[in-house]
Amino acid sequence: MSSSPLERLQRRFVRSVTFAADADLIAAVTGGGRLSAAEAIGVYRDAYPARLTEALGETYEACWRVLGDEEFFAAARDFIARAPSRSYNMSDYGEGFPEFLESRPHAEDAPFIGDLARLEWAFLRLFHTRAHEGLEPAALAAAAGSESILRLGAACVLLSLKHSVYGIWKRDRADDTPLEPTEWDGAQRLVLYKRGTNQIFARELSVPEHAALTALAQGRPLGAALDTAGLDEDGARELFAFAADARLIVAVVGG
Amino acid sequence: MKTAPGVRAGMTGVGLRSVHYPDLLGRPSTAVDWFEAISENYMDSEGRPLEVLLKIREDYPVALHGVSLSVGGVEGPRSDYLRRLRRLADRVDPFLVSDHLCFTGAHASNVHDLLPLPYTEEAIVTVARNVAIAQDALGRRLALENVSSYLSYRESVMTEWEFLIAVARRADCRILLDVNNAYVSARNHGFAAEDYIDAVPAELVAQIHLGGYSDMGTFLFDTHSRAPTPPVWELYRRAVRRLPDAPTLIEWDADIPEWAGLEAQAVQARAIRREEHELKPA
Repeated sequence: MSSSPLERLQRRFVRSVTFAADADLIAAVTGGGRLSAAEAIGVYRDAYPARLTEALGETYEACWRVLGDEEFFAAARDFIARAPSRSYNMSDYGEGFPEFLESRPHAEDAPFIGDLARLEWAFLRLFHTRAHEGLEPAALAAAAGSESILRLGAACVLLSLKHSVYGIWKRDRADDTPLEPTEWDGAQRLVLYKRGTNQIFARELSVPEHAALTALAQGRPLGAALDTAGLDEDGARELFAFAADARLIVAVVGG
Repeated sequence: MKTAPGVRAGMTGVGLRSVHYPDLLGRPSTAVDWFEAISENYMDSEGRPLEVLLKIREDYPVALHGVSLSVGGVEGPRSDYLRRLRRLADRVDPFLVSDHLCFTGAHASNVHDLLPLPYTEEAIVTVARNVAIAQDALGRRLALENVSSYLSYRESVMTEWEFLIAVARRADCRILLDVNNAYVSARNHGFAAEDYIDAVPAELVAQIHLGGYSDMGTFLFDTHSRAPTPPVWELYRRAVRRLPDAPTLIEWDADIPEWAGLEAQAVQARAIRREEHELKPA
């Protein structure tokens, strides 16, 4: 099917903005002000990476502080060149940026950068998630049994990271001066959650705690989840108390 | 939701920006009458942004202003976008839902910019078709804003304002008249902004926007990073003579001033309207 003049024009415009100025588009327009046609198209082409870089900078603020302007902007430029925005919402842009950052040479100096970016992406998703109404501790204790399935609320994210990045991320987030992390060795497991309001909390988890909450999130019964995780009685009690206090559980089924 | 203060003729508002949330959540007395929220900042959020918007809505009329409808796009509006915008509109109950008379790229490659359309019959037909889809999905009339542009198409067969008016009439939608954008485009493309402002029928105008541009030396750039310039204020004065009832909005998106600074711009807009309609001798 042949395309219409408007379809062809729009295709050329998008190509001119995201790749290189299309000769047919240059011939089809007149520049505004004292701009040539190519310069006028350049106004839109320059704005495109600037806008998406700004979106990446807002989402991956800590990564930006760690990498510095030069490296972050270079990474953003290369990512934007290969990853068009498919969402109508610019703040959705940047999924896949953590893996992209890991693949770049700076990863030798900052091997944790991918995990730091994953934490920032998880935070953004949670920021826009509705705070769930978790069960009161007494109601949870009364309802939960070994065979119960405990449903975690939507405003709860479990993370398993190869590097300890939470301390880097939370360091004075109002500050935009360069970050020079020194400690990132060792894996880290986290739960990010909202507790009835839109404030976001975080708690580090031990390996068994993370395994138990992951099993619960997968729909395993409470007893089986704790057994699988290898939590002893005290550990299980402590995790249960935390989950109750943090209002992580929104429903108890069966048991 | 309790009934918010009603929409009043000629009211003056500002764009709701997150940097001002702390100023506004204390529910101070402000000089602004209403707020305009960027639709995309709230339609995909169930978190704090939406919480703040709904709180603001308890005290003020709110309009929703989108940047991603891409009403001139040949692919048509995205159904997921319209679904989420409808959901937001149902929650907020805005007095107006608006977007821009432009296209923003393609579904598979959104460039997130307000790209100008050629002023042709095909573009009018395309926009009218898309507006019909959007208005049907939203269950309300839209207003479309004229955009600033830095190029023009050789194939255009009418002026920008003739195109804007033809679209509004054909699509049965309304116009959000951005006075700053009219000025920027006039300077960039060599026509008289006064002709533009004078030509737009008052009955089609649902709202007025005011913002600031940057002079790049070789062209004017619509940056929304400063206050309206004196010639834009003068053009606004000319516009409100004919449009006494249209709500006015101060738009500021970059280098955003503290709350008091933004509020002062709204006060200035209100003063101009009063000078033209209340203080002038008959």
